[in-house]
Amino acid sequence: MDAANTLAAPPAGTVPPAKRPSRVRASRRTADRSLRIACTLATLLGAIVLGSILMMLIVEGVKGLSPTLLTQPTPGPGSEGGGIANAILGSLVMTVIGILIATPIGVMAGTYLAEYGRASKLADVIRFLNDILLSAPSILIGLFVYTLMVRPMGTYSGWAGAVALAIIATPVIVRTTEDMMRLVPGTLREAGAALGAPPSVVIRSVTWRAASAGIVTGIILALARIAGETAPLLFTALNNNSWFNANLMGGVANLPVMIYQFALSPYPNWQQLAWAGALLITVTILALSVIARVVIKPQRAR
Amino acid sequence: MSNAAAIAAKGAVTQPAARAGANAGAPVRIAVKDLNFYYGQFHGLKNINLNFHDRQVTALIGPSGCGKSTLLRTFNRIYSLYPEQRAEGQILLDGENILDPKIDLNELRSRVGMVFQKPTPFPMSIYDNVAFGMRLYEKLPKSELDARVESALRKAALWDEVKDKLRQSGMGLSGGQQQRLCIARTVAQRPEVILFDEPTSALDPISTGRIEELIEQLRDEFTIAIVTHNMQQAARISQFTAFMYLGELIEFGQTNRIFMNPEKRQTQDYITGRFG
Repeated sequence: MDAANTLAAPPAGTVPPAKRPSRVRASRRTADRSLRIACTLATLLGAIVLGSILMMLIVEGVKGLSPTLLTQPTPGPGSEGGGIANAILGSLVMTVIGILIATPIGVMAGTYLAEYGRASKLADVIRFLNDILLSAPSILIGLFVYTLMVRPMGTYSGWAGAVALAIIATPVIVRTTEDMMRLVPGTLREAGAALGAPPSVVIRSVTWRAASAGIVTGIILALARIAGETAPLLFTALNNNSWFNANLMGGVANLPVMIYQFALSPYPNWQQLAWAGALLITVTILALSVIARVVIKPQRAR
Repeated sequence: MSNAAAIAAKGAVTQPAARAGANAGAPVRIAVKDLNFYYGQFHGLKNINLNFHDRQVTALIGPSGCGKSTLLRTFNRIYSLYPEQRAEGQILLDGENILDPKIDLNELRSRVGMVFQKPTPFPMSIYDNVAFGMRLYEKLPKSELDARVESALRKAALWDEVKDKLRQSGMGLSGGQQQRLCIARTVAQRPEVILFDEPTSALDPISTGRIEELIEQLRDEFTIAIVTHNMQQAARISQFTAFMYLGELIEFGQTNRIFMNPEKRQTQDYITGRFG
């Protein structure tokens, strides 16, 4: 308070007499300035941390880039060279299967919440459970699928991994679908109904269309989310140092678990491959996020 | 265009419904009998009795919250979308009670079209917008569909402006064009009755003039009910006027008479602007 007063008090003689005292109290101006400084510092701190992570990732990751990275499977312990082609392929396959499972369930459920359920008790319960699932620790989901699929089937599998990823993606898609469909003005639904269209037609050809950019964005963000998930794969797909079987049975190599295992290994070439994999996965997620932003843009502009 | 602007600019109270002779002898298309309407506990419409004549424009006027939109929204039962809203009494469309729970709502709505306050083009092409209603219940060959789309757009006075961009999105049109697109979409279904819920309150004077001209032309084919806040508009385009206040129908009659020589004090006060 004292400091504020001295700041505001004009040193005698230096201020022309015409200048009236400011209407804004000095303490308030100080508070304004200090909040602005605090916010800027916090932003800088965050940016610096993020920037240094990215820098390190790029520096170390680029060192690991080699022609064999994308062509050869992960090397055995002690052997030289090798790549991460099997992990990339495994991640790709499981992520795609996961999103293919999650998308119809998520979009349908979101549609139920936004259109049919609305204010019903059931919808409230589903919304609540969905929020819990949205923030559930992903390792739990891995364990859940382990008991559900891995134990009965007697083996780790890419299927189990894909299901675990789908369980993580679904609540994201449910939430964005509902939110985006709720943004569609009610008059548009009324206009559809006023033409004699039953609700199913209005949803399919009017509401979904109007919300499509937002729904697609939600799916892309869910894709980005599961592309980097490690924990749910630890108990389901595990890992593998060779090419996977087309039937996806047995351990399936994937980027996150590969990074986890190779980074902790004593072999320098494994650690190098982990860096390269981390760079690759980060760039992919970044690209997906950028695509999601581009997709949603035309809708915002409207 | 200049004609439309002139209509819009005219303080037309001086010559109400000059071009449109009311035909009190026209058969009754919609008969409202002892209609009561509830929003949950709130009694929105009280004992409404009213007739809408065939191929005449009937304007519903009154201050905000008087129930005119509510009344309009009973004729296609669009209120049924909201479970807490219900209507009691009878509304006879060609003698058939549309409040009957057994009535097929989708069929009813193909007979009673509606145009809303804000233009509501669907996020699809202009062509698909107009064809939307027709595709629901009729399997038309492409040539016939094309012809119906064109005829609807002509009736809505939009054809010349959009004939070269039928495949473009309906969302890209101006507000006035969007509203005429919505009218075309409604007309294309060949309804018997068209309901207008303040169709020009979101539009500029030029667009308003065009819509008003359009409504007058549509009267040749359709029975029209229009809710409006604009008394000059009611005077310009309607043959019959119903004045409502606090959920009750205060006065109904030929537009000329309602505006020149109202029977009720409240009507007089409202149309002369002395009303709160």
